[in-house]
Amino acid sequence: MNLYWLILLPILFGALYYLLPVRISKYISVVFQVIMVALAFDVFYHVKNYGQLIHNIGNWPDYIGIALRADELALVMVLLTTVLFLGMGLYQLKSNYIDKLLVFLTLVLEGLIIGIFLSNDLFNIFVLIEVSTVIISILIMFKKDSQAIYDGILYLLINVVSMLFFLMGLGILYKTVGVVDFYGVEKGLHNIDNARVLILPYAFIITSISLKVALMPLFSWLPKAHGTPSAPSTISAILSGLYVKSGVYLFIRVQTMFSPQIDTKELFYIMGFMTAVIGFILAMAQKDIKLLLAYSTVSQIGLIMMGINMNSPQAQMGGIYHIINHAFFKSTLFLTAGMIIDVYNTRNVYEIRGVWKRMPYVSVATILAVLGIVGAPFFNGSISKYWIAYGAKDSWAEYGIMLVNLGTVITFVKYTAMLTGFKKVKQAKKENTDILQNSVVIIMGGLCFIGGLFSEFIVEYLFGTELMIDTVSYALKSMAFILTLIIGIVIFKFWLKKSSIPSKLNRFELSFNGICLVITLFFVFMVVYLDFQLPKG
Amino acid sequence: MDYINGETIAIVLFFIGVWGLIARRNVMKTIISIGIMQTAVILYYISGNYIPESVPPIEEIPVDAVVADPLPQALMITEIVIGAGITAASLVMFIHVYHKYGTSNWLKLKK
Repeated sequence: MNLYWLILLPILFGALYYLLPVRISKYISVVFQVIMVALAFDVFYHVKNYGQLIHNIGNWPDYIGIALRADELALVMVLLTTVLFLGMGLYQLKSNYIDKLLVFLTLVLEGLIIGIFLSNDLFNIFVLIEVSTVIISILIMFKKDSQAIYDGILYLLINVVSMLFFLMGLGILYKTVGVVDFYGVEKGLHNIDNARVLILPYAFIITSISLKVALMPLFSWLPKAHGTPSAPSTISAILSGLYVKSGVYLFIRVQTMFSPQIDTKELFYIMGFMTAVIGFILAMAQKDIKLLLAYSTVSQIGLIMMGINMNSPQAQMGGIYHIINHAFFKSTLFLTAGMIIDVYNTRNVYEIRGVWKRMPYVSVATILAVLGIVGAPFFNGSISKYWIAYGAKDSWAEYGIMLVNLGTVITFVKYTAMLTGFKKVKQAKKENTDILQNSVVIIMGGLCFIGGLFSEFIVEYLFGTELMIDTVSYALKSMAFILTLIIGIVIFKFWLKKSSIPSKLNRFELSFNGICLVITLFFVFMVVYLDFQLPKG
Repeated sequence: MDYINGETIAIVLFFIGVWGLIARRNVMKTIISIGIMQTAVILYYISGNYIPESVPPIEEIPVDAVVADPLPQALMITEIVIGAGITAASLVMFIHVYHKYGTSNWLKLKK
C-alpha cells in the first residue's frame, strides 16, 4: 500500500461523508476510524520488520519531488493519531452537537496531522500546517461563542505569523543548500564550510517551531486555544493531546536535520525546564478547569523538551514515551472535564464539588488519568518521568524534575478536590448516562494504567529499544512520589487555597501585539545566541 | 548600489510587516501586515536564486544556456494560493469579531 493513502483516505472519506444522511453516516465514520487504525498498524508492522519506507510521489529521483517517509517514530505518532481519533469518534457519536461539518473537519484534520508526521519535505509541512491551522481555528469557534471567536482569530493570526517565519527561514535555507527535503538538507549541510550562513535560517525556523511547541516565552496562545470555554471537548482533547505534539515531533526532526552544523541542545534543555516551571505555576493559579488543564499541558511539554534534549538515550526515549502517555491522560482529562462542565454548568474548580457521588464512572476515569499525570507508581507517567530523571542523574536537573512534579501534584490535588464533598448544586441537570462516553473515558484512563504496567514491553515493541527499570531506584522514586504527594496536599490545604497570589497570576495574559513582540524578541535572541555559539569564520 | 537587490528588500519588507504586527492595535492592520510579510517572502524566493540571462526550463534548451531554477516559482504559486485563503479566512473571522464586540482594537477585544 502506498503511504499517501493514509493521508488521503480520511479527507476523501470526509468528503463522501457529506453526501450521506447523518443517521447512518456517523456509524460508518466509526467503522472507518477502525479501518484507519488497522491500516496504520499494517504499515507500522511492515516498517518494524523491513525497515523504513520512503515514497517519492511522482517517482522523481530522491530530493527532487515530494517524499513521504515512514520510520518508526513517525508511524508510532500516526498510530497514536488514529487511536485517539477513534476514541474521539466514539465519544462524540451520541453528543448533541455532532453534525456533518464537525465530523468532516475532524476527518480532514486527521489526514493533515498524519501528513505532518509522514512528510519528508519542509515546504509540504508548511502547507499542511497552514491548512490545519485554518481548520483548527474554525473548530475552536465551532459553537460561535464570543469568547471562542476571539480565541479563534488570535490562534489563526499568531500561527500564520509563525509559519511566515518558517517560510522565510526555509527560503534562506533553500538558497544555501538547494533542496527542501529533510534528508537532502541534512546531507547538504555536511558540505558547508562556514556554519555561520545557517544562523538566519535556523533562527527563523526554530522560532516558528518553538511557538508550535509552546516553549517558555511563546506559550501565551496555547491555553486560549486549548482551554477555550465553548469548544467541543473532543477538540480540546485532540489539540492538547495530539496536535501540540506535532510541534515536538517537528522539533525533533529539525534538530536532527541541522545536527551536522548546529547543536543547541543545552539551550532548549534549560528552556524546557523553565517552561515546565512557569507552566505549573500558572496552572496552579487557574480557577477555570479547562484553563488549568491547558496550562498543565504547557508544563508537561516542558518536561518532554527536557527529556528529548538530554544526551542520554534513556531520557530521550522517556521524552518520546511521555509524548504518548501525555496524549492519553490529557485527552481523558479534557473529555471528563467536558462531561463535568455539562452537568455542573460551571467551570470554576472551587464551585464543583461532589463529582464522586454524582458521576462515579467519570470520577474513576479522572482519578486514573490524574494518577498517570502526577506519576503515581505503576502508572505510565511514572515510567516516562523515571526515564527522564534517569538521564538527569547527579545534576541540578534531578531536583528540578522533582520540583516540576511537586507543582504537577499541587495542581492536580486542586483539580481532584472537586471529586470530594457533597455540595448542593443550584441547577441540577440530568446526569450523564451515555454509556459510550463513560466507557471511552474509562478505557482511555485504563490505558494509562496498562501503559505503566507493561511499559518495558510497549517501548520495546514500538521502538525496538530495551530499557530496564531498576527496581531499587524505582522504589526510591515511588517513595519520593508519596512524599511529594503529602507535601503537595499540605501546600494546597494551608497555602494555595487561602493565598491571594493566584488571582494576581491569573490575570497574566499577553495581547496579540505582546505575543508578536515576544516572537520577535525570541528570534533576535536566537540570532545573538548562535552568533556567540558558532565559531567565528 | 549592489546591496539594493530583491533579497535585502525582501528582508526589510518582512520586518516592516513585523513592526506592523507589534505596533498597530487594529485587527485590520494586523491582517494587512501579514499580507506585507507574505509578499516579502514571495519576493525573497523569486529573487533569491535568480541568475542573470538564464532561460526558462521549458521545451528545447540551448546547450550552453544557463537554466533558471523552476522550484521557487512552483513553491510560490502554492504560497500565493494559501496566502489568499488565509487572508480570506481571517477577514471573515474579523467580520464576526467586529459584529460581536463592536471594536477592532486588540486591547479592547482582550478586555
